[in-house]
Amino acid sequence: MTSLRQLVVLGALGAALVGCSGEDKPESNAVAKPAGCPSALKPEWQQLANRVGVPVYCPNWMPSPLDADINGQWNSSGPIVNRDKSFLVGFLWHEAGSGDVHVNFRGFPGKTAMPRCEDGKRSIPCFSDPRGSRKIGDKKVTVYTVSRDADQWHVTYLWRRNGTLYTVSEHVAPPLTFRKVVANLDRLVGGLELIEPAPSA
Amino acid sequence: MKLTRKQLLGGAAAGALGAAGIYELVDQLADSPQRAGALELPPEQHLLAGMKSFEHEGVEVIEPPLHHQVMTAKLRVRPRPSALRAARETLEASLRELERRYDLTPAGLAVTVAWGRPYFARYVPELAARHLPIDRRATTDARRPVSALLDARRFPSDPDDTILEANDVAILLRSDVREHVADGAQELFADTGDLFELTSIRKGFQGGGFAGGRSLPKAMATAAGVPGADLIPDTAQLFLGFTSTQTHTQGQSAIANFETLGFVDVRDGYFRGGTHMHLSHLDEDLEAWYLDFDFRERVDTTFRPRLEASDGAQTLAQRPEDAAGVAEVEDDFRRFGAIGHGSSIQPTSRLQMDIRGADGKLYRKGSAIPLRADFNTLDNPFFWTADPERDGFEEQPSAGIHFVTFNPSSDDFNRNRLAMDGVLPGGRTLPIPPRARAQGLNSVLRTTHRQNFLVPPRSRRSFPLSELLSS
Repeated sequence: MTSLRQLVVLGALGAALVGCSGEDKPESNAVAKPAGCPSALKPEWQQLANRVGVPVYCPNWMPSPLDADINGQWNSSGPIVNRDKSFLVGFLWHEAGSGDVHVNFRGFPGKTAMPRCEDGKRSIPCFSDPRGSRKIGDKKVTVYTVSRDADQWHVTYLWRRNGTLYTVSEHVAPPLTFRKVVANLDRLVGGLELIEPAPSA
Repeated sequence: MKLTRKQLLGGAAAGALGAAGIYELVDQLADSPQRAGALELPPEQHLLAGMKSFEHEGVEVIEPPLHHQVMTAKLRVRPRPSALRAARETLEASLRELERRYDLTPAGLAVTVAWGRPYFARYVPELAARHLPIDRRATTDARRPVSALLDARRFPSDPDDTILEANDVAILLRSDVREHVADGAQELFADTGDLFELTSIRKGFQGGGFAGGRSLPKAMATAAGVPGADLIPDTAQLFLGFTSTQTHTQGQSAIANFETLGFVDVRDGYFRGGTHMHLSHLDEDLEAWYLDFDFRERVDTTFRPRLEASDGAQTLAQRPEDAAGVAEVEDDFRRFGAIGHGSSIQPTSRLQMDIRGADGKLYRKGSAIPLRADFNTLDNPFFWTADPERDGFEEQPSAGIHFVTFNPSSDDFNRNRLAMDGVLPGGRTLPIPPRARAQGLNSVLRTTHRQNFLVPPRSRRSFPLSELLSS
């Protein structure tokens, strides 16, 4: 049984952790930007939605220093669109000696099964070690702590909508910690705007 | 008055001996287990009385003491019979005083005094040449006498900068009560005058969580702000998420004694009842472990590829009858391209046949030989060091393990550790690059320091062999 003394200590510990300054302070405590995809970036994400034929999610917030400009300086991957219309859009800040901030957006149109990745000769789930699920807005998100391929060392948030599986992941690497990444993903996923493909697309 | 560097270091060391630092939380986060009462003192120094075992996830587990501390030192004693006699009497008096104060149980205080090769070489070289046990297997392989106590070596998966230490002595203190450990350290170092020049103080903890509450590793790592702390399972015994003290993986009774299995020739018997101790520090990259290996892979690499494990299990049975042999390890590697930590060392760490020990006890095939006494630490790499630059000391806590294990000899330890790197008994080496993912566990561990020690029997624990010097 937990003693009062233990509770006091644990409470103090918890307070100390919440009150930590620096990199572990969740950015989600900051003033939120207005909901919705930044208007300047919307055409790029609209173009992606048109190309893959399913709705895509455009973020209204990205962890510093990244933005969600698909044609911008931080874009690292794509958009890469495969034959089956599954896509990857990545954003990366990297500075030797300082670390990485790396966020990936994926979608698998028409598929809800766990995607498979190659590991040598093996085919393995691209995301494993689920760590519970959470409701963020209208999305029921499952958190995965082990990710593969372009998402290796990322924490991945995965959800499904209308027969399509979506993921957003962020790399756990200095200057970020696991805790900070989770806070970032909470905020990022909470600010996603669904961009429908244009009817004519 | 201006203090010299030596005085300053001495003062800092004395303060650090009893200081708790972050380990004060251990007492606040975990209750001391109920322990059986003390029995008669065994002739061995490395055996603990009053250990409690219980079932966890259907497997019998030994609950280790909560608090652990190792101090290493060089001797300030002059290499003369009279000085050694006085030193021996002083140390022995302190040890007896601690035995008077505390039972030899985790509820009391267990003290293990171990001596490094530098002590034997500097103080009693000729007597050591005559009395130190000889390793029979290593002697056969080398075709010349090989001591049971060798200098530590680097292994294939060790970094090039792993420090091979040369301390004269190491003292291990274990107790459920932090104040007992602090008192023991004070008695042995601060109150013995000028015998020792401390080189390091290493602290840590074990246990908690077996009753279902949050265990110490997660709570302590979280409190210390260690990267990846949030990823540790709530009730894990070790930072890496599994239990290491199940009864079947621990050398039982006197199996790790020099003389028990016949691996070692104790010659005239001076060191009968003694054993060998390896001490190392391993830094653990928790984020790499939990973000790059999923649960299935962690089981595969910690134990054995495809070992049956329910999701989230922490204590996986490692029964004697299931111990892997060389053929199984080779087969695993052929099929999966990887080896498990547990299974890879079993061909060397488990008995390959029934053996009637020198103590008259029958040790069954598959029995574990090493007696592990390792503990979790947040030291980086030590709680205190006399040489912070050399040791790479940092204030920022880091998850790691002070690896303490008792084996019948250095060679026996080396065989086990080499097997972890795919060097199998018989000399075959599996083609696994050092620290490759196929070595799993090794890829997230970084060994910072190593040293081997000899643990004399209790009756000869203080400056062994020095009483045989003619004055």
